[in-house]
Amino acid sequence: METTGELEGEERRRLEELLESNPDDSSLHFQLGVCLWETQTEKEKAAEHWVISVKQNPKNAAAFTYLGHYYATVSVDIPRAIKCYQRALSLNPDDSDSGEALCDLLDSQGKETLEVAICKDASHNSPRAFWAFRRLGFLQVHQKKWSEAVQSLQQAIRGYPTSPDLWEALGLAYHRLGMFTAAIKSYSRAIELEDTRVFALIECGNIFLMLGSFRKGIEQFQQALKISLQNMSALYGLASGLLGMAKECRNSGAFRWAASLLEDARKVAEASIKSAGNSSCTWKLHGDILLTYAQVFPWTEESQGLEYNAETFKNSVYSWKNTCGLAAISARNSYQRALHLAPWQANIYIDIAISSNLISSFNQDNTLDKCTWKLPEKLTLGALALEGENSEFWVALSCLSECNALKQHSLIRGLQLDVSLAYAWAYLGKLYREENEKKLARQAFDCARGIDPSLALPWAGMSADAHTGDSTPDDAFESCLRAVEIFPVSVDITFYALPKLAEFQIGLAKLALLSGNLSSSQVFGAIQQAVQRAPHYHESHNLYGLVHEARMQFQAAIASYRLARYAINISLGTVLKSHLKDISTNLARSLSKAGNAIGAVQECEDLKKEGMLDAEGLQIYAFSLWQLGENDLALSVTRALAASVSTMDRISAAVSVSFICRLLYYISGPDLAIGSILKIPKELFHSSKISFIVSAINALDQNNRLESIISSSRYFLASQEEITGMHYLIALSKLIKHGTKHHLGFQNGVNHLRKALHMYPNSILIRNLLGYILLCSEVWGNSHVSSRCSIVDDSDSKNKEGLKSAWEISSAGAVACHAIGNSEPRFSFPTCSCQCTSSGAMQELQKCLRREPWNHNARYLLILNLLQKAREERFPVNICIVLERLISVALSNEFYSGKEAICQYQKFQIYLCASEILLQRGNIMGCIDQAKNASVLSLPDSFQFFGHLLLCRAYAAEGNLKFSKEEYERCLELKTDFLVGWLCLKLMESQYEEQPASNIFELAFKEGSEGRNNSWNMWMAVYSLGMGLICLWNQDFLSAEEFLEQPCSLTSAESCIFLCHGVTSMEIARRYHDSQFLSSAIRSLSKAHITSSVPIPIVSALLAQAEGSIGSRKKWERNLRLEWFSWPPEMRPAELFFQMHLLARQIASESDSSSRVEGCQSPLQWVLRAIHTNPSDLRYWKVLPKLL
Amino acid sequence: MAKSMKLAGLKSVENAHDESVWTATWVPATNSRPPLLLTGSLDETVKLWRPDELELVRTNTGHCLGVVSVAAHPSGVIAASASLDSLVRVFDVDTNATIATLEAPPSEVWQMQFDPEGTTLAVAGGGSASIKLWDTATWRLVSTLSVPRPEGPKPSDKSSSKKFVLSVAWSPDGRRLACGSIDGTISIFDVPRAKFLHHLEGHYMPVRSLVFSPEPDGRKLYSASDDGHVHVYDAEGKAIIGAMSGHSSWVLSVDVSPDGEAIATGSSDKTVRLWDFKMRAAIQTMSNHTDQVWAVAFRPGGGGRLASVSDDKSISLYHCS
Repeated sequence: METTGELEGEERRRLEELLESNPDDSSLHFQLGVCLWETQTEKEKAAEHWVISVKQNPKNAAAFTYLGHYYATVSVDIPRAIKCYQRALSLNPDDSDSGEALCDLLDSQGKETLEVAICKDASHNSPRAFWAFRRLGFLQVHQKKWSEAVQSLQQAIRGYPTSPDLWEALGLAYHRLGMFTAAIKSYSRAIELEDTRVFALIECGNIFLMLGSFRKGIEQFQQALKISLQNMSALYGLASGLLGMAKECRNSGAFRWAASLLEDARKVAEASIKSAGNSSCTWKLHGDILLTYAQVFPWTEESQGLEYNAETFKNSVYSWKNTCGLAAISARNSYQRALHLAPWQANIYIDIAISSNLISSFNQDNTLDKCTWKLPEKLTLGALALEGENSEFWVALSCLSECNALKQHSLIRGLQLDVSLAYAWAYLGKLYREENEKKLARQAFDCARGIDPSLALPWAGMSADAHTGDSTPDDAFESCLRAVEIFPVSVDITFYALPKLAEFQIGLAKLALLSGNLSSSQVFGAIQQAVQRAPHYHESHNLYGLVHEARMQFQAAIASYRLARYAINISLGTVLKSHLKDISTNLARSLSKAGNAIGAVQECEDLKKEGMLDAEGLQIYAFSLWQLGENDLALSVTRALAASVSTMDRISAAVSVSFICRLLYYISGPDLAIGSILKIPKELFHSSKISFIVSAINALDQNNRLESIISSSRYFLASQEEITGMHYLIALSKLIKHGTKHHLGFQNGVNHLRKALHMYPNSILIRNLLGYILLCSEVWGNSHVSSRCSIVDDSDSKNKEGLKSAWEISSAGAVACHAIGNSEPRFSFPTCSCQCTSSGAMQELQKCLRREPWNHNARYLLILNLLQKAREERFPVNICIVLERLISVALSNEFYSGKEAICQYQKFQIYLCASEILLQRGNIMGCIDQAKNASVLSLPDSFQFFGHLLLCRAYAAEGNLKFSKEEYERCLELKTDFLVGWLCLKLMESQYEEQPASNIFELAFKEGSEGRNNSWNMWMAVYSLGMGLICLWNQDFLSAEEFLEQPCSLTSAESCIFLCHGVTSMEIARRYHDSQFLSSAIRSLSKAHITSSVPIPIVSALLAQAEGSIGSRKKWERNLRLEWFSWPPEMRPAELFFQMHLLARQIASESDSSSRVEGCQSPLQWVLRAIHTNPSDLRYWKVLPKLL
Repeated sequence: MAKSMKLAGLKSVENAHDESVWTATWVPATNSRPPLLLTGSLDETVKLWRPDELELVRTNTGHCLGVVSVAAHPSGVIAASASLDSLVRVFDVDTNATIATLEAPPSEVWQMQFDPEGTTLAVAGGGSASIKLWDTATWRLVSTLSVPRPEGPKPSDKSSSKKFVLSVAWSPDGRRLACGSIDGTISIFDVPRAKFLHHLEGHYMPVRSLVFSPEPDGRKLYSASDDGHVHVYDAEGKAIIGAMSGHSSWVLSVDVSPDGEAIATGSSDKTVRLWDFKMRAAIQTMSNHTDQVWAVAFRPGGGGRLASVSDDKSISLYHCS
């Protein structure tokens, strides 16, 4: 401080010295004045200097400002101060100091107009006079000149962009102008700059509420309450925000959510009342919250697993009613307090009337005398007395009144006051409907819909017309659905008393029952809401049960029906007996569907006692008795049912007859059933459904006794779907009727299906069955035909038709093909001519598994397909790992713990797969374990065989010939129908030293191939191939040649047999120098070359060699060239390069060599490539020096 | 609300993968790059795409069967992909370095989602009828939330296969988990207490996809099911709020826009639909795909982008305003 004082002193001295030498310099006077002003003690002196300064330079605005300060504060000469400031401002309008000081002076004198004028002047003179804009903006806000204020404030904000006051004021101006988005932005900016702006927070929240963004509004109020704990406006805002959100939830149907929000709202409102209990609007808000609570509080079922009995259900409904009733009573109390505080508010009368109405609806005590006016009516009239011109009050009166004449009068009065009241028209329509004035009703509804198409009541009215037969149940359902969906959205007036809500929902469910839409989600949602809102009404539970039943949720359906019965018991009024009958029949049916036959029988017996057992009940009764094994009783009930058939209408008679037929078949077997069916009058079979049942029974009857009935009933098959279904059934029956003991009559079935397919080429059902039968028929090559005849289509695979779906058939066919048809010939050279692509099947299976991850069949087929792929690719590690994972997932599926043959069989196959992979990866122990797992499954010997075959192989691989032999002998004991099994066993047998009597195999082959005429040749060929291979292993080339020659003459298709024969012949020719064999080798190899669909390596090389041996150089050359092209480039062996060198050398002398493949490189280069590929072969090295 | 959402096609990549595209998700932006789209396909690859041009950033290989699910960590740094053989690969988005390989013993992996904090990966455990929770620091299985089996008269009656869990969703506060089963029930779990709370009923066919509304107190849950409906539930209140129908086949995927205003679905009927819940109706149907649409995904953090992927091997990007 001292130093600054010293500095100032120095400065003053310096200025004084300068002034002495130059007394006319106005700026020096001014500076000295400023210097003196700072010292506090010599302010008069300072003023003197300034006066001199302005005299010398009248344009010095700053000096005038200082003078103004002097006059205002030191000498207190206000008029002079004002003049000085004005002078300063006229010189420099941007000067905020003088401007603010001047305005403060004027303000203190109450000269607002002058203040505004000065600010306007300054702002007019300079756009940078931000102080003036700010002052002006605030003043205009104060004077409620909102649009002017916005402009001033915007300008001011350019100068003071971080002033929260300005932003807040701007927000307020926008708010008052109704520019809500802009207001929110401004308020938010103010809050951003200073987060304790309670006013901005509350106002912002109010705007959000007004715009319907309750969630955002609530956030603002909560923020405000954090700063100012007991702020009334914030509390009020928060409570109304929560109420708004709760109403939103209620309107969308989330009652429980709404209730929990209302509980919060109630707490907030009560906190607000505690701090200020004399505010009418807070009481009204409290009343609104409680009234809404009474309207939405849902009845909640007990937590899962707890079953209701009659008593607990009654208590639960009672406590629900009690909660609602109490809330309604407190709501009315709050409204009364509000009215007490503000008796001039007419709408509170209406509120009290509505809450009274609600209370009485919960109490249901109609003790009041009908003649006297009821409380709600009276209070509404009170409101009308205050505001007779309010059309909504008139509508309210009509809703709350019970007298139809009064209702009509008040609605018309309301419409006179405001003709565009859509809901008034709607109520009028409803009223006319009740009065049975259909035409007037429709007119009124049309008016209502014309004004506001989003109103629910007219739609509901339209759907109600359905009963009169004007529209179909479907249309009615659609209309009612619209009503239910839009109803909550349009609750803009409170006298849509909510107990009526359930009416719509229940009506919707009833219509859904008529139109067959019960399983629709909308109906489920609606009926769930109905149960929440009308738990005391039996119909809501009954319909909920029906909806559950339509969705196959029988346990839930049973529970609902039980509740419906309890609800009937606790309802006070008289209930029609037919309701009880319906509910009990529903209950019995659900029990039966859920597998609880005892319960179903019990229900039916109860019904019988009451004499209420109708046709449906009889069916359930008979069916459940049959399930319990009480066949005699069931038959007697069936007889009772049969006796009543003649009195039924056509549809239910058909249902009963088909039921009787089926039950008879199940109880008495086909013969007796057929006998009884023949006794039934023929005209009762005039239905497509019965036709199917009778045909199915007939299929199992070799005598065709029902033929005449079938032929007459088939006349009633109408749609293509039914006709193809019948063809399907006929094909299956042909399988049975034309089959032998061991084999089904596949060919007859196939023939029939082919004809059917010709008529209905787009029938997926027939295609799939054809594919399936072809696949089952075990005819060589049929697996390819089967995959072709079924069409794999994603959209259809969801609706599985028939026994197997298309993807199952095609992928099973892919597994069945011995050549997987790899797209890369890196791994193998498929000789199957079908060219089916399993990669396609693999993709399809994966797609299927993606669609239905739980589908164990898809996973199973994927495993089999992958195994085939792995086999073809020589079991690469990555595929094996995936397979192992898939297998472990598959085996964990509960499906495979089933005892059914199909589960056991698939499990067996999966174990074998696992075992095979382990075997291939060298884990013999694991392999043996898995194979043992497989062989303990209870399966026919024919399958068991393969488990032991694998064990046999595993032990052999381990070198344990003793165990292997044991397993081999076990296989011999088990025997199998599958020829391939015998073949494998034969190959295994060759491993053992001793040769057992080998005719077992021939016998087995003969036996196994009975009835397989088509494939007999092929199997013999494969057998001979196997035998030939065994001879080859034993170095017995001559017998090998004999074996291999047989199939060569048998079949003309398989190139691998020709190859084997050719190779063997060549070896014999080499060993015994027999040129005859050489020519037969050439013959076979040429055939191998011709028949194979892809060029097989080695074939041409051998052929070249053979041709070369008999001296045909041209053919040698040509074949060698062919050989070059039959190898995939990356797999060409060294020997091939070496051979090419020979070729190149051979033709080096010829002229047109360059065009050929061998000519592209010199012989030397060929040899070098050979050495590069395989440096260990000395032959190549030997040739090398000759070429260098 | 007067303003209604509208979709406009921005870019479509035909043959984005060699086979059906099965799954898609957005990887949130990091400091160094914008958000990326991550897709997985039957062709056993996972691809990363840069919007809006959908330019291919990288192709990740390594799965041996089709990729059924991808999930992105909220930080945008790591992501996970899972294939049909139930193998989950966790990798660094920018370098493709493998961070972890998750192999839960015989269980399966379907929809996956990281929790909002990024500390846990929830996996819909298929046949195990449970949600598996993996810790993202140690990559260990920390918890298994099992769907309780109904106490029917015959508990062994294939009930567990009915509880096969296909879909999973975290609530925005990370306190609740929802999972959908193939019998149509949705189970709600209290995560901090590792406790089953209740079932939500209403669907009667498999629930393929679940998503919570993004509001902070979001208790609104959207579900997509094979029964062709999109349901809206009050997840806390155990009640169905509404159902929306319009798709003519399975609804395979549902997502909600970051502001919670719009809902998008993809379906087997080959369409992408935009819904307005207040109207209970579809406001727009995009039929640019020629096969079933497996996934739809709104880009997080605004900008109004929606991506859809389909069996027709293509990816589409839309502007959503």
